[in-house]
Amino acid sequence: MKKLSIALCILMIAVFLFTLVGCDRPQEPDTLVVYNWADYIYDYEDDFKAYYKGITGKDIEITYVTFDTNETMLTKITKGDSNVDVVCPSEYAIQKLIEMDYLIPLNYFDESKYTKGMTTKGYVHNANNVDKNIVDKIQQTFGDIGGKNMLDYMVPYMYGTLGVLYNKYQFMELGIYDKDIMNQANWGLLFNDNGKGQLLHEELTGQILMKDSIRDTYAVTLFYLLETGKLNGLRDADGNLYTDLSANQLINSVDDNLLEIVKQTLTQQKQQLFGYEVDFGKDDLLKGNAMVDLAWSGDALYAVEESWNDNLGEEGDYELSYYVPHGAGNIWFDGWVIPKTYNPAHEEAIKLFINFLNSPTSAAANMMEIGYSSAVAPDKILADNDAKSILAEVYCVNAPEYLDKATLDAIEADNGFDYDCWEDFEEEFFFYCDEIDGTNWRYPLESDFANAENRDVSTFGVMRDFGAKNKDVVTMWNYVRSAGVNALPMFLWMVLAVAVVVGGAYFVHFLVERGRFKQIVNNKKQ
Amino acid sequence: MKAKSKFRFTRKALAYPYMLFLLIFVVVPLVIILINAFLTDDNSFTLNNFVEFFSDNGGGLTVLGNSLLIGVVTTVICLAIGYPVAYFLAKYHASNKVLVLFFIMPMWVNFLMRTLSTKAIFLALDVELGMGTVLFGMVYNYLPYMILPLHTTLVSIDHSFIEASEDLGADKFTVMTKTIIPLSLPGIMSGITMTFIPAISTFAISEVLSSSKIFLFGDAINMHFSKTTNSFGVGSVMSLVMLVLVIVCNVITNMTSKDEGVKSAL
Repeated sequence: MKKLSIALCILMIAVFLFTLVGCDRPQEPDTLVVYNWADYIYDYEDDFKAYYKGITGKDIEITYVTFDTNETMLTKITKGDSNVDVVCPSEYAIQKLIEMDYLIPLNYFDESKYTKGMTTKGYVHNANNVDKNIVDKIQQTFGDIGGKNMLDYMVPYMYGTLGVLYNKYQFMELGIYDKDIMNQANWGLLFNDNGKGQLLHEELTGQILMKDSIRDTYAVTLFYLLETGKLNGLRDADGNLYTDLSANQLINSVDDNLLEIVKQTLTQQKQQLFGYEVDFGKDDLLKGNAMVDLAWSGDALYAVEESWNDNLGEEGDYELSYYVPHGAGNIWFDGWVIPKTYNPAHEEAIKLFINFLNSPTSAAANMMEIGYSSAVAPDKILADNDAKSILAEVYCVNAPEYLDKATLDAIEADNGFDYDCWEDFEEEFFFYCDEIDGTNWRYPLESDFANAENRDVSTFGVMRDFGAKNKDVVTMWNYVRSAGVNALPMFLWMVLAVAVVVGGAYFVHFLVERGRFKQIVNNKKQ
Repeated sequence: MKAKSKFRFTRKALAYPYMLFLLIFVVVPLVIILINAFLTDDNSFTLNNFVEFFSDNGGGLTVLGNSLLIGVVTTVICLAIGYPVAYFLAKYHASNKVLVLFFIMPMWVNFLMRTLSTKAIFLALDVELGMGTVLFGMVYNYLPYMILPLHTTLVSIDHSFIEASEDLGADKFTVMTKTIIPLSLPGIMSGITMTFIPAISTFAISEVLSSSKIFLFGDAINMHFSKTTNSFGVGSVMSLVMLVLVIVCNVITNMTSKDEGVKSAL
């Protein structure tokens, strides 16, 4: 017996060792752990593998992990045991990570390392492709974080605006789908305020959705207060009038005075709300539960595209529309950073990954897929034929100069072309402007390239982290969210509940008195 | 052979994996919450989290008060509806097992789905979402938890008690108040616990059925953990407060039903 077990043991060890040897293949693929927002990238994997193999000659395995809020991500990076190599947080989260010293500087791209067998063009430091507007804005807002420059730590990935998603056809019914009315109301659309302190429309009451997000809500409330003159004459801690501040300065003002005003405004706004949403907003708008929603541009674009309805208008129309209020607004960025906990063995893969995502082709594919604006400058995309062919294929453009014969035939056989030529598409995609909003939602910034009605970048503010005031802001938000449930209606409910109990007791009593139980029991016994 | 202290596979050993599970996923997290409640952001000892919560400058206590009130109202309504239902179910138990099934059936559907469809129905009927709809959702969701323990107790009441009290001259009303209700007290207590505790800690129902307009204690705790990165301390204090409430509820339940057959199911 004993001998048998020893023999078994030896056998098992042998098998185990054998397996280990078998595993030890000479060509282990490289690995990379990517930590990104959910639904925030196109189906990149095959493209990246090909790209990586083309440059390094090696295979790569990617582990892709997602998060749903910056706070979850921050907790994981700062408190957790995460071993992620490359992360894509929002600007204020990057600020926090730099402040807490959790990131390594990128200072990357030693060109000579990657030039073997390749031309330098196209992959060395694609960060150069990033829109100048974005780079400047980041520099202006976060220029110096304790002696560190944010641009040394991040490469911008996507950006977008904060605006109002609304049901166009319901607005038409209410008679407020009008450029003048909406331009007058601006952020007041979310407060049912026509911009002059009156209700925009009675029927809008209870039809407004806000985001369950304190940062966005805070920014929007400040803009609204500014527009409606409620900040007139008020001064911040340094004695400056709030009305004199730039959008960037205003959005980053947090003091007790302002918190109190915002608290009151938001508490009042609750009477106008349908509710606060996290991700049901689009559905509520399409089902007619609500008419207005605070939204980020990418989500809004996606929602608008989904809202196509054949029965609207003469030949079908989008039911929803997006509006970036004029005057002050908010713009935000997400960017790729490398946390200190990264695996140094993956360094090459990380850099190539970031580089890959900043190529015009990836930018074009990403914009198609997720709706937000790529930080890669539009003229870089337009200068790249591969990127153009991606756009042409997705948007069914009859563009023989960018698509091969087989693709063209496939598109024609499928649903036909949506655009007759590349120029038509380019006009629509890059120069499109909404008749009410007047801007191109995808490229909202004023530049030589975009259309004339686009906004000056200085009218948009970038929001920093609340910093030391974070706790006060959360406290304020907690107060606002819990407001409205007060004791009086609760007391009425109590009375009702007691009435129900008493009523129920009487009912039972009544039945007992009538002796109906007795009869039934007797009947059964017989 | 010498006696060795050897691992013996007894029936007790079957419980070890779950004990280990409890230790790792219940005891350890509770200890972590307890420690967190006394820590600042940079991990030094503080009592400020308690001060912050109990001074109520962010409305934390108000939220707790609201939640408790809503919990009480829900429980009272559940009891008012549930007791007669359980009584009749118990009365006609022998002939009508299908009826009991009807009351358990909603529990087979995921509660989030039930709540979402309740919302859809309210919206289709043009009912404004708010306190009323939240209470409806709560009662709807927790009613089976009230009915089941009541039903179990009422069914198990020996009919001879009732006959005895009738023989001693009690009329129907007195039989109800002096015999049936006292005998079903353990069921009432466990029904109350099973309704009240989830009702004060819920947040999904209030979120869905009021479009997040009604903010309960569960929401507040959730906010402190998932929407911010530096108020884990206050969030932990709130979780502890909730835990204390649950323990208090259980102690009361167990005290009232000390010598009775049915103890708190929790």
